[in-house]
Amino acid sequence: MLRGLNQERIVFTIAVVLFVLFSVLLPGFLSAGNLLSLIQNVSILGILGVAMAIAIIGRGIDLSILSTMPVSAAWLLTLVNGGMPIGLAFVCALGFVIAVGIINGTLIAYVEIPAIFATLAMGIVVYGFGKAFMTPIDAVYTGRGESWFYAIGSGRVLGIPSPVIVFALVAAAAFLFLRTLKPGRFIYGMGDNPLAARVTGIPVRPMIILQYVIISIIALIAGIVMATALAGINTRLALSTMVYDVILVVVLGGIGLAGGKGGIRNVVVGTLLIGILLNGMTIMNLTYTVQSILKSVILLLAIVADTLLNPRDEQTAQHGDI
Amino acid sequence: MAASEAWTRWRYRWIPDKLVGEILSKSWIDTLIPGVILAAVLAFFSLKLPGFLSGSNLGDIAQIYGEYLIIIVGITFVMMAGGIDLTVGSTFAFCNLAALLLINSMEMNLALGIPLIMLIGGAIGLINGLLIGYLGMRAFLTTLVMLIIVRAVVDQGLLDYGQTISRGFNASTAWEFMGVGTVFGVPSSLVVAAAIALVGHVVLTRMRFGWHVMAVGGSRRSAYNAGIRVKRTVCLTYMISGLMTGLAATFYAARLTSAGTDVGKGLEVTMLTAAVLGGISLGGGRGSVIKAMLGAVIVLLVQNSLIRMGLTSGTSSLVLGLILLAAVAIDVRWVKNRHKILARAYVSPTYFRLPPLPETAAGSGSPYALNDRLRGVAAIGLGELDGPEDVIFDRDDNLYCGSRHGDIIRFFAPDHRRSEIFAHIGGHPLGLAFDPQGNLLTCVGGMGLYRVSPSGEVTKLSDETNRSLLSIVDDSRLRLADDLDIAPDGRVFFSEATIRYEMYDWMVDALEGRGNGRIICYDPRTGQSRTVLPNLQLPNGICVEPGGQSLLFAETWGCRITRWHFDGPHKGRREVVIDNLPGYPDNINRASDGTFWCALCGMRSPVFDLALRMPDFRRRMVQKVGRDDWLYPNMNTGCVIKFDAAGTILDVLWDLGGEAHPMITSIREHKGHLYLGGIYNNRVGRYHIPGADPAWTSNASYWGDRS
Amino acid sequence: MIGKSMWSAAAAVAILASVAGTVAAGPYDDGQSKKYYETMKGKRVAFVPLSMGFDLTEGWNAALQNQAKALGYTVDVRDPNWNVEAAVQAVNGFIADKPDVLILHPLDQQAYNRLVPKAQKEGIYVVQVNLKSVVNGDAYVGTDWYDMGVRQAQLMAKTCGKAAGKNGKVAIVTGQAATPTVIIGNQGMDDVFAEHPDIKIVAKQSADFDPSKAQAVTSTILKQNPDLCGIIGIWDGQDTGVAAAVREAGMQDQVFFISQGGGNKAAACDNIANGNFDAYFSYDVPGQGRDLNAAVKILLQTKPKPGSAAFALYTPLKLITKDSLTASSCWTLDQLKRDGG
Repeated sequence: MLRGLNQERIVFTIAVVLFVLFSVLLPGFLSAGNLLSLIQNVSILGILGVAMAIAIIGRGIDLSILSTMPVSAAWLLTLVNGGMPIGLAFVCALGFVIAVGIINGTLIAYVEIPAIFATLAMGIVVYGFGKAFMTPIDAVYTGRGESWFYAIGSGRVLGIPSPVIVFALVAAAAFLFLRTLKPGRFIYGMGDNPLAARVTGIPVRPMIILQYVIISIIALIAGIVMATALAGINTRLALSTMVYDVILVVVLGGIGLAGGKGGIRNVVVGTLLIGILLNGMTIMNLTYTVQSILKSVILLLAIVADTLLNPRDEQTAQHGDI
Repeated sequence: MAASEAWTRWRYRWIPDKLVGEILSKSWIDTLIPGVILAAVLAFFSLKLPGFLSGSNLGDIAQIYGEYLIIIVGITFVMMAGGIDLTVGSTFAFCNLAALLLINSMEMNLALGIPLIMLIGGAIGLINGLLIGYLGMRAFLTTLVMLIIVRAVVDQGLLDYGQTISRGFNASTAWEFMGVGTVFGVPSSLVVAAAIALVGHVVLTRMRFGWHVMAVGGSRRSAYNAGIRVKRTVCLTYMISGLMTGLAATFYAARLTSAGTDVGKGLEVTMLTAAVLGGISLGGGRGSVIKAMLGAVIVLLVQNSLIRMGLTSGTSSLVLGLILLAAVAIDVRWVKNRHKILARAYVSPTYFRLPPLPETAAGSGSPYALNDRLRGVAAIGLGELDGPEDVIFDRDDNLYCGSRHGDIIRFFAPDHRRSEIFAHIGGHPLGLAFDPQGNLLTCVGGMGLYRVSPSGEVTKLSDETNRSLLSIVDDSRLRLADDLDIAPDGRVFFSEATIRYEMYDWMVDALEGRGNGRIICYDPRTGQSRTVLPNLQLPNGICVEPGGQSLLFAETWGCRITRWHFDGPHKGRREVVIDNLPGYPDNINRASDGTFWCALCGMRSPVFDLALRMPDFRRRMVQKVGRDDWLYPNMNTGCVIKFDAAGTILDVLWDLGGEAHPMITSIREHKGHLYLGGIYNNRVGRYHIPGADPAWTSNASYWGDRS
Repeated sequence: MIGKSMWSAAAAVAILASVAGTVAAGPYDDGQSKKYYETMKGKRVAFVPLSMGFDLTEGWNAALQNQAKALGYTVDVRDPNWNVEAAVQAVNGFIADKPDVLILHPLDQQAYNRLVPKAQKEGIYVVQVNLKSVVNGDAYVGTDWYDMGVRQAQLMAKTCGKAAGKNGKVAIVTGQAATPTVIIGNQGMDDVFAEHPDIKIVAKQSADFDPSKAQAVTSTILKQNPDLCGIIGIWDGQDTGVAAAVREAGMQDQVFFISQGGGNKAAACDNIANGNFDAYFSYDVPGQGRDLNAAVKILLQTKPKPGSAAFALYTPLKLITKDSLTASSCWTLDQLKRDGG
């Protein structure tokens, strides 16, 4: 029985247990409004989690999304505030994130820099470039337009907050991409065994570039949701530790850093657990710092449980697999 | 000789091309990359920033550098063992908080406080170590979660104690000294850091624990199989990292007394950048404390200079990121292509001219004229043996030979059909010789000179000789001890074929045409070895002449046999006995009539002789053509010659068609028969010598009859 | 003979020069103005903010640069980008360069404790702006954070208290707990609310100066307290997140939201105008810029021994509400760069 427990199931069980506990103990937790806001509060984390999942499944990682997201979104707002039509500004921002994705992919695929370093450095470069040449002021606010564009993050469709809908759409699109499209299957193959994938004839290098371009585009979407939800965006976000939260959501859901395993479902599970935790703790009026401590200790326990149930063998562990 | 050839000869004699490859093959060459980057950074900023190298600026940097250095020594241990420690930033903040609270506010004694704070850091490291080392969790993820947990605890601590800390002030001089004090102008933190770096370097390179760390990082699985306690080693590295971070945080606390929320934020990235810039590879096994020091100083100088240049924060991030990218890219490409560059640059041909090739055609009247006398010789151990380079007999007529599997095999007299493994040495035994006490001495390729007692007990006699002063490759280690002989006083003279190549590459040495080998004397009275004849062209067979004052040695690639007096009135004299063999001489041994046998392991060809006169051609070949397509000396056929002390060729034995003995590396006469060994052969041949003394044994010739 | 003609020539040149000098300084000298200009000319001012690239520091810098250009002195800026360590390195670098005045915007109360006296010992005047180290410099220009907390709390007590017929339920969404702004400001609020038992603090959460966290925290608070009367914010950059949550919950009419900040138009007045914020305490960056220039000028003209005569210029707070909002309530960076402080 215990053997059948993997990380995803553990996390799911914890999430369910917490959900039941909070529903019983916390008045107001189980209301529809609260549940929607629970998901809404983590939807941006979830969108970024989807992007990170695509990277990790392909045995990569992208630490630069937390720079790409605020910089591209802030630039978009700057352009719009400067009088450019929204459509054109969006195309500009899209071009920018695609360029970032291509550079990331090239560094990883062709220069063969480990993904963690390439994207770490690119994160710094993107933030620096953005601050020096695109948006000299950290915080950029949305103008007072009446376009549907501003409703992406703050509106509601059929009573559901639009960030939740965007999260669902992104997750569904990524799910279909990974499950049904050839490049999606290739990403699994590359993550499982890059050398075998290469020998099989998968164009590994172009696929890596495609992978990081998709990730960057999802980051732009997350940025737009965030900017329109909060009526502005601050590029200082790139200096925060939010990227670690994103990785945790993904890994907590059960996507191994070794690649080739897991799917979008895992991201949703991981995101929900974080959402339930944060929401419940806020209702209990725990301070922000206590919340962080509790949240991270639970995360640690989850991966400890996974390790205990599925231990790594000294003989089969991959060398250099950190 | 044409003028161009004369020029080639002089050019290759005086320009030491081989140094390039030898320097590139050094392991410290990796450190050159961060060294060059550092030089570039220094040059650039001292031009850009006046006062960059001024005392006060360097003093400020040095203080911070001390703290960085302490941390990165710990990180180096973690990374060398194949891990990663992202928790340092948070541990740093936590220990800084603890230091401010305990020492600055509560005015705890430093002698008590500093170890306590280091222990706090060590405790965080221990948690990491237990989780990663003993539970086998992934380092990246675990330290990441710990980073978040510890950071959250720090935030909570700031909330609870922030006010207390901001009011505290410890005025003790020791605390003041930690913060701003100097020793002869060097900041206190740097003094401590230098001591720690020194200890770290010694531990990592000279002590058992350091070797275990390197082994675990180099190959975790092999380390585990070799019996190293991998889990404990990994756990300890994280503890070290935690302890060091705690110490660095104490210095930081003393210097700034700052309890801001940003303390230590991003420190893990800075340290990771520094380590990788220095050339410590992710995944472990490659790196050193010196590399870490270089990496840290580069990162610090760049950061500091970008701030001082007054660039906007965006531009300095941009520059820092680009430098990181470039450095990692260079590092990755270098690690990947290093062995390719090295393989091309290492082989360094030089000019060598052999005299015209002697005639060997049948009926030509040449002493080397072909015959077929080795056709159909009897075989011993056919199919059981693999690479009997040399053959020898004890006083009871048992036959001994080496094998490629690292054994010495004994065939029992009288018919030499039954065999056993006499001794296991581990390396391929090449030359063999018995000493008067009946011990078997052998040269083992890749290992050195060994002695096997009659009961089969193996003792190492020597695996190193004196290091020559100007050699770049480490020539104190024996790479390829080849053949040996023993002088009457017990001194052992043995040849080392080449100091530039490992055993499996011995034939590549032929492409160089340089004297890379040497003859070494092992003296049992002192137990020391000394090089006596350097710069020989693959010295191979050695045979002490019956007089006991001189020896004959063969230089395989030189195609000559030389006499050298090691004792007596002509001590030190060297004279060429045969200078123009038609093939490549291998072992030399005594014959029953007072003359000598010599095996030729391969025959010269005009093409290769010509190639030896064209070093440029060989260099181009090595650089442009795949290894399998290189032009090598012919090793497909050989013969045995018999010559007297004056160098007159008396006899020659051929195996036409090369069916039984295509390549002969050794010959041993014993009781009227000649026994033939070959390093690539699967048998020992037995040839009846017409008219030889049927009672003569080599043992008796050397050490007299058994008394 | 030659000597004499040389002397007379030299005298002629000297007279000419002095005449030319008076012609060049032609403007009217009231007895102080000439000295004022001469004192300021060629002086070097150094400025280490928390980070460039946000409204406060960009605003102060614009004000400083404008005066510097007008009076012929220089203002050098080094940008530590929110990093204490980098800031300390930058300050050390400046102290080695020996400018006349060093303007510091400290990240925390302790980090500059050794640097301020070090700079003063080198003969450099230290001015601190908006945030203070424990060690005072020669001048402080900026907000009195206690007063800020008191004013916010008083306004909230007036709006949500029993006197206004409200239930007194108030939430506080604060920032990183260790910053002086938060610590001192909270003390001010506590002191006021202690006198108003009718005000009930239903939630006091930190959002870490992050608008998205502020939004998450606020939306949960609103779900828990559907009858909430008011929210107090800590910084306009974070408070947009609070406002977004309130807007989303459709409670903009019910919840009275007080924010604070430097009074930048996009961050303050726009949000007041569209109803995101109900009240806003501005510490008026152009005014602070003017004070900053004043502090620099006073120090350079009176030339006290550094550290001997510290003074403070606390910024008068400006309350902006929809009713008091005018075109000149706020400022934009472009305007500040053009007109100076």
